[in-house]
Parts: sequence; structure tokens; C-alpha cells
Amino acid sequence: MTRGRSPIAVAGLAIVAFLALLAVGAPHALPGSPTAIASALALKPPTLGEPFGMDDLGRSVLSRVVHGYRVSLGVALASVAMAVVAGLPLGLLAGYAEGVTDHLIMRPLDILMAFPAILLAIALTSVFGTGVVLVSLALAVVYVPIVARVVRAAVLATKAEVYVEGARAVGAAAPRLVLRHIVPNCVTPLLVQASVLMAIAILVEAALSFLGVGVRPPTPSLGLMLSDGRGFMLQAPWVVVFPGLAILAAVLGFNMLADGLRDWLDPQQAGRG
Amino acid sequence: MSSLIYVARRLALAAPLLLGMSLLVFGLMRVIPGDPAVVVLGYKATPESVRALRETFHLDEPVPRQYLRWLGGVLRGDFGIDYRQNEPIGRMILDRLPVTLELTVLAALVAALIGVPLGLLAGARRGGAADRASLALGLVGISIPDFWLGIMLILTLSLAAGLLPSSGFVFFAESPLENFQYLVLPTLTLAASRAAALGRLTRAAVLDVVHRPFVQFARAKGLSEGAILLRHVLPNAAIPIVTVIGLQVGYMLGGAIVVETIFALPGLGRMTLDAVLERNYPVVQSGLLVVGAMFMVVNLVTDLLYGVIDPRLRRR
Repeated sequence: MTRGRSPIAVAGLAIVAFLALLAVGAPHALPGSPTAIASALALKPPTLGEPFGMDDLGRSVLSRVVHGYRVSLGVALASVAMAVVAGLPLGLLAGYAEGVTDHLIMRPLDILMAFPAILLAIALTSVFGTGVVLVSLALAVVYVPIVARVVRAAVLATKAEVYVEGARAVGAAAPRLVLRHIVPNCVTPLLVQASVLMAIAILVEAALSFLGVGVRPPTPSLGLMLSDGRGFMLQAPWVVVFPGLAILAAVLGFNMLADGLRDWLDPQQAGRG
Repeated sequence: MSSLIYVARRLALAAPLLLGMSLLVFGLMRVIPGDPAVVVLGYKATPESVRALRETFHLDEPVPRQYLRWLGGVLRGDFGIDYRQNEPIGRMILDRLPVTLELTVLAALVAALIGVPLGLLAGARRGGAADRASLALGLVGISIPDFWLGIMLILTLSLAAGLLPSSGFVFFAESPLENFQYLVLPTLTLAASRAAALGRLTRAAVLDVVHRPFVQFARAKGLSEGAILLRHVLPNAAIPIVTVIGLQVGYMLGGAIVVETIFALPGLGRMTLDAVLERNYPVVQSGLLVVGAMFMVVNLVTDLLYGVIDPRLRRR
């Protein structure tokens, strides 16, 4: 039944790896500065040397896009990592203990999930403030309940498995039971979820910056480029076309990775594509 | 009888959630550093005027009492007064609610009308050209940033081609035609990624059903593929599809903030965002609660609906 589903995962991974490399190597790879202002070059159309053209202040759009990826991917990675660090133990505990502990952990998290994600993120940035670190923190708070739910569901499903019952029957202590038998079963759903959350984080960070409640102006951010470029997009469409395509490419990469991982790591689902 | 109990239990669960949401939004707004009275009046305000404002808006009371006062008001439909415009916040919400509702409902309809048939088609002819095309389209669709799509639609259809207005709003009661013209692009923007998500999930729901024995039986007794799809596959795939439509509507309430801002629609999302940018916290607090409550109602209705579609779920 392996019908060559992995090409999607491989392609997704390739896109993600390429963009990550670009983000990490950006300062060394590109000669152009993302912040150097050159009014003589303002709104210059794309050329061979500057394939994405210049923005209203004569800054290289390509250079700003590549530097924008540093912010985009950095915020996404930081928020997902923080959410996993907080959400994994919460989900493990809720799923393993059940009963009162489960309620004490999950009911407050339900309240966080009762708001649309972007609305909660906006509300949190209005409390935390704007900027790269605080936006990552706000996204992490939005994600903790999602991670905890995924882990809890995996724990509940695994606990009923015969081999876990068996391990318990032969007297395995709770910590050993959780670490050896339950955590490994959470890895698959968690990896898939993390990839989806990366995709959403890139979208939400760009949206927040676009709306003026995300990353602050001197920092090159893909969302900010779009809101800055709106004013003259009719004369210079490249100032809004390329940053948008850049966001699309990164989000697509993570979504493909998630799709591919889901099929590849879960053979029962793979048949259904 | 059992369905009544099911409805009652769902409603009973909603109350503590709403209470928790009100505590959260109220708490968030109190955590923000700075005296709200000073924020409103500016840093040059005299101590007397600050004290007067604090008294008028009960900011001098203990925080728990402020919360109870606000909650009591909200339950009676009184959201308090906007510090800045001196306008009742309840009135502001009522003025903007129809815009957000119209946008969300239209976008949900468009997304369902595009996404569900595409997903059915892809699932029914799995591995075929239509399926492959819809897979690719679905992946790209869920990955498009909606605010970028909105900008691109404005750039092409409105600025370059001049076909539709790029921003603004006319109420349906004033002019149905203009109302429609102003809503075409926002609706498309909000619906596109949700149509893609719905298509993907409908396809998965269909694939879950098509290999079940009753479908093979229907095929064996000679029913046409179309009849099998409509009479046997669709009803059984309906529960996940309804759930997913519910989730997408909820998502759209969040997306509406972005879309209302791009197209300058006077909706609830934009009101809340503007209030955030102006640090107008009483409005933020109430806006958050109302949008959150709408989100919760959508989820609740979804829950109740699949209790209706699948009587087995009522007993759980």
C-alpha cells in the first residue's frame, strides 16, 4: 500500500530546509543590505541583479524577504518549541492522571481555546507588547492548549494498549511507564502537529505584523513589507507580490511536510492518503 | 427526551466556559501596566481630572468589584461606556455585529459550496486527475495568507481593472446591490483558504467511508456511483463534514479581523483591533468577549447539529 506518498514529505522538507538555510545564511549570502536606504533606486523594477526589485526607500526587496525569513522562521520555531516544552508535560499529566488532575489542567486550557487563535494572539500582544520575543511568547500561549490536547489524546489512546497494561501488570513504575511506553507514542502526532503549528505561526506572525501588532518596523518582516507596500502597489506590484509569495512558500513547505509526515508515520492512515 | 437531555448538558457546559472567558479577558486588561485613566487622558492630565475619570468609571473600586460590576452589566446587555467617544459600548457592538455576521455567513456559504463538492469529487475518484489536482489546490489554498490574497484581489480586480470597490461598506438595507459589490472581494478573501481546508477534510471523510461494507454492498446490488455517493457515502461522511464546517466558521471569526481591516469594513473585528491600537481597553475587553462568545456559540451549534445527524452521539 505504499503508493509513493513520501514525495510530498520530501518536497516539503526540501522547501523548509532551503528556506531555513537561506534564513541562517542570509547575512553572508547576500551582498545587499535589507536596511540601506538609496532614494535613487526607489521603486526600481526587478532586474537580473535585483530579481525582486526595490521598495519605496530603494531597499532591496530580495534582501528584505530573506531577512524577513529570519524573523518568520525564528518566531515560528521559538513559539512551537515553547508550546511543546509547556504543553507536553501538561498533556502527559492530564492524560495519565485523568480525573480531577485532568480537569484542573484541561478546563483552564479550554478557555484559551475558546477564542479564535488570531484574536487571542492580538489580545496577548496588547498585554505583552510587540516585538519578536513578545510575539513568539503570545503565539506560544495560543499553542499550549493545542499541544496539550494532542498529547493527552495520544496518552489516553496508548494507555489502553495491551503492552502498557502488561508493563503495568509486571510492576513498572509510573515514570518508567510514561517515559518508555507512552511518550514514544506521542512523538508521531506531536511531530505532525508541530509542523502544522509552524505553518500557522508563520501566517499569524505575518498577519500580526501586517496589522501593526506584531514585529516592530525597523526589523524586516514579511507582514510589515506587505502593509508598507500597499500604498504604491499599483506602480510597483513587486513590493507586495514577492513578500506574499515568500510567506506562501514557507507555509506550503510546512503544510506539505505535515501531510507527508502524517502519511508516512501513520501507516494506517497512509492507505487513505 | 434523550435529545433534550443532550441539549441541556451541552448548554450547562457552556456557562462555566463563558464565565472563564469573561475572567480571562477582564484579567488580561488589568494586567496591562499603567493607569487606564492616564492612558485615556494623556500624560499631561491634571490629578483632578484623572481622579474624576476614575470615579466616573469606577476604576477606584477594588478589582473584584469592578469585575462583578462589568459582568453584571454585560448580562443585562450593558457593556459600559467607551472612555474616548463617550458612547455606549453595547451600541458600538450592535452597530458592527451585522457587518461581521454578513461577511462570515457569506464566506461560510461560499467555502462550503466550493469545498464540499470538490472534496466529494476528489474522494470518489481517488488517485485520478481530479483528485491530484484538488490535492495540490488544497495544499496551496490552505497556505495562502488571506491578507495577501485580499491585497492581490484589490490590486488586480479593483485598482487595475476597476471592477469592484477596494474598501468601504454599504448596509444591505440602504442598497442591496452596493452591499453586494462591497462584499464580493472580502467574502472571496475570507472563503478561499477555508474552501481549501473544507475540500481536504471532506475528501478524508469520504475516503473513510467508501471502503465500508455497506458501500460495497450498494455497489454489488447495482446502484450507480452517483447514487452511492449521494445516498450512502454523503450521509455517513456528514458528521465530520459538519464538524469541519463549524470549525471553519469559527476560524473565519478570527480571519474577519484581518479581512475587515484590509477592506475597511466597519465590523466587530476591526473595532477590536482599532481599540487595541488605541489602547482603548474597555472596548477591547468587550470586543474580545463578544467575538469569543460567538465562536463558542458556533462550536456549540456544531455539537448540537451532529447530535441531530447522528442519534448515537446523544447518549455519550
